[in-house]
Amino acid sequence: MDRRDLLTRPFEPHPASPGVTRYTNAVLRNQNNEAVKFYDDLIRGKQCVVNFFYAECHGSCPAVTQTLKTIYRELKPRMGKDLFFYSLTTKPEEDTSAALKHYAEMRNVDLPGWQFLTGDPYDIETIRFRLFGMDHPGFDGDTTLHSSYLRIINDARNSWGMAQAFASNANILRRIAWQDPPKSYGQRVIESRARQVLIEQEVKKWGYRRDNMS
Amino acid sequence: MPKKKAKNRPEVEKKTEGTISRRSVLKIGAAAGAAGVLAPSMLTSKEALGFQTITEPVICVTPPASPPHHPFVDEFTAPFPADDHPLNPQPTEFPNLGAGEADRAPHPRWAQFSPAHFTYDMSAQAGLHQFHSDYGQTYIWGFNGKFPAPTLFGRYGKSGVVRFRNNLPTTTTTFGRNEITVHLHNGHHGSESDGFAGDFFGTGFWKDNLYPNVYAGIDAFGGNPGADGVGDPREKMGSFWFHDHRAEFTLNNNVLGLNGMYIVYDSTDPGHEHPSAGSLQLPGYYGVTDFPLELVDHRFCPTSGGRTELVNAAGGDKFIVNGKIQPKLTVRRRKYRFRILNTGPTQTYDLTLIKPDGSVGTIVVIATDANFLEHPIPIDAGANAGNSNSTTAPIVAGGLRVSVAERYDIIIDFAQFNAGDKLYLKENRTMNVGNPSPDPLPPGLNIGNVLLQFNVVNREPWFPPDTPAIPATLCTYPTLPATDNTWEWQFVLAGGRFRVKRPFDTIGCVFDPDHSAHCMLQGTTEEWLLNNNIASGWTHPVHIHFEEFRTLKRFVNGVVVGELGNPSLPIAPLHSGRKDVSRLEAGQGALIKMQFRDYSGRYLIHCHNMAHEDNFMMVRWDIVPDQAALDACIANQQVCELEMQAKENYREEVA
Repeated sequence: MDRRDLLTRPFEPHPASPGVTRYTNAVLRNQNNEAVKFYDDLIRGKQCVVNFFYAECHGSCPAVTQTLKTIYRELKPRMGKDLFFYSLTTKPEEDTSAALKHYAEMRNVDLPGWQFLTGDPYDIETIRFRLFGMDHPGFDGDTTLHSSYLRIINDARNSWGMAQAFASNANILRRIAWQDPPKSYGQRVIESRARQVLIEQEVKKWGYRRDNMS
Repeated sequence: MPKKKAKNRPEVEKKTEGTISRRSVLKIGAAAGAAGVLAPSMLTSKEALGFQTITEPVICVTPPASPPHHPFVDEFTAPFPADDHPLNPQPTEFPNLGAGEADRAPHPRWAQFSPAHFTYDMSAQAGLHQFHSDYGQTYIWGFNGKFPAPTLFGRYGKSGVVRFRNNLPTTTTTFGRNEITVHLHNGHHGSESDGFAGDFFGTGFWKDNLYPNVYAGIDAFGGNPGADGVGDPREKMGSFWFHDHRAEFTLNNNVLGLNGMYIVYDSTDPGHEHPSAGSLQLPGYYGVTDFPLELVDHRFCPTSGGRTELVNAAGGDKFIVNGKIQPKLTVRRRKYRFRILNTGPTQTYDLTLIKPDGSVGTIVVIATDANFLEHPIPIDAGANAGNSNSTTAPIVAGGLRVSVAERYDIIIDFAQFNAGDKLYLKENRTMNVGNPSPDPLPPGLNIGNVLLQFNVVNREPWFPPDTPAIPATLCTYPTLPATDNTWEWQFVLAGGRFRVKRPFDTIGCVFDPDHSAHCMLQGTTEEWLLNNNIASGWTHPVHIHFEEFRTLKRFVNGVVVGELGNPSLPIAPLHSGRKDVSRLEAGQGALIKMQFRDYSGRYLIHCHNMAHEDNFMMVRWDIVPDQAALDACIANQQVCELEMQAKENYREEVA
């Protein structure tokens, strides 16, 4: 256990976090029909993965949901504690809370730490633009284009990254890990030393390093 | 700060800006000790430690424009040369994880290239830099805290180890990301030293990059190491640059300043002007007659405490050369060499030399992307206007177009001007100045377009005399062997992202550190077709790690506009040399040819517009040593098929 973790208050945003000015504080509704504020309740100080979908989509969305489900299994110990998934619908007019609940239950993804969100179409469009906008009318205007992307946010370290949902699961997990809270120097030194012991054993046994990181 | 024992003198624990807290040093020591490690180097050099308490910048609201400045106040100088000193602990073949080195593959050819002749210690750390005398200090991240980074020097045949330390703040309120991986653009070395984008390491750690400083072709030409060492001397390169390559944050970290020049000399270009065996006698005294010219643009805002901070990572309205806004340089009436480097982050420069009468002066390009041209190419708006590479809008007559990461070594002969003349290096875009020029400008020149002012004076007796005329032939290029394989990369915008697409992909690849998009055998020669078929007007300066290429053909919208060795349809002069960045403007394409020799491992091809690179226009390709490895690499090749991948996921769900 890293001593730093005990001393750090949970869900403290980074001092430089743009907060509501980037993420907005739009009031959304989740699959349990609970009202949540997008920044204050969902992002503030947390690490999360955000994607867009809609329930009746038969193209890439179900596949993305399936990918997230697979990844959820890998990240289960963290899910709902310091890591969250948010799937926002691009068709809030059709996807009510009840429809999202049905969608989540049908696919066995109504899981702790994973929220399916709907809300005012203007708010949803604003959030999509803020998270995935590229200042390019050709694709910023097309609601279907961003469905295969995952925006990975860590508000506690004011960083975000991105993953392609159709990349390998290992790639997505690695990109989520890239936004993980930083480990302390001591923790990383301990890990490095443990790794060095393994490498030394390997070099002693084989005369060279078999795991050459390629 | 007085050197006293901290435990007896609690008052000295108070941190002072710009100094190192004794207590923080002790803390680090204690932390390392608690973990059972005490790297000997950690407590020997406080400067190398770099744990300075520099307060983080105040975040400022985006202003309409940067504060005004007065032109031609600061002096243009070369970045300070880096200090070559022994490393402690000694560099090792395998990563010295216990002493705090980040994990990496072992250095290849270690027996051949150790011990290193040059050893440098470069600490990435926060620092303060004044971009203009009118401005306050600016918070930057620099190597050894300097902006631009100190220049590193190497010599062919003398290997070097550069220890890149990450002493960046553990938490930061800036837009940078405190993890680094340093790429040497474009060195011929192993992939563990290449700054692979996924190999970044965090604060407190360091990594040794082994730069053997050899010509490509070690195996083919290595049997007879001469004065310049091993390899094919026709593969000579000179003006390298090193920069952070952290995936997704390359732009942010480079805007904060994590880049610098790395110059490698050999007998043809020895770093001095004396007649010596094989020397071309080009202007060659670093910082005297041979200057790096590192271009970058920033936006500033004044904040509390007299500081002037960078607003964001998006570039801006002040053009900066070697860390100064609109500096001046006193030049003697003789030849000077400038190693132009565009460090970005995103903009392309169109440079011209403006003479006192307002006309365009002649610059002579001697090297493209660190490689000497076979014959120097003069550029001006008159007889040599056809040599300009500013051929698409905005066309600048006699302009030298430099996109991000391109380097052009140029020579300007100031002997043709009179003492007292003032010349100007002009950029086509206009910056925000806010004050008139102190000197009357040539007719037609706007002060906002000036990057740098040259004041011509007569040569003093102590100043080095002029070098002989530039030789008509600078080098001879090697003949490339027959092509073993052809490949195509398209630079596209698909599914809302910049991607690198192979012809058989439906959508295109984004950066995946774990999978290679293309595999090839070591020692093979390949022809790659690079295509920018984006209709939206993007320029993609495409950079290929590890090897220099020759451009065989250039295309515009699929039509051949230039062919190497075809006198009736010659290739544009500045595309005819060896390069490592191929600038593809909208609709352009290039057929390039290169060999992959001496090393195997992971390398990258990407668009060097740093915004595009961070938005995934980058893929990994691998060189493998044998057929079995090739088969394994191809079996594990990156899959960028949207539908196919989706189906696979579906199968998993059903099963």
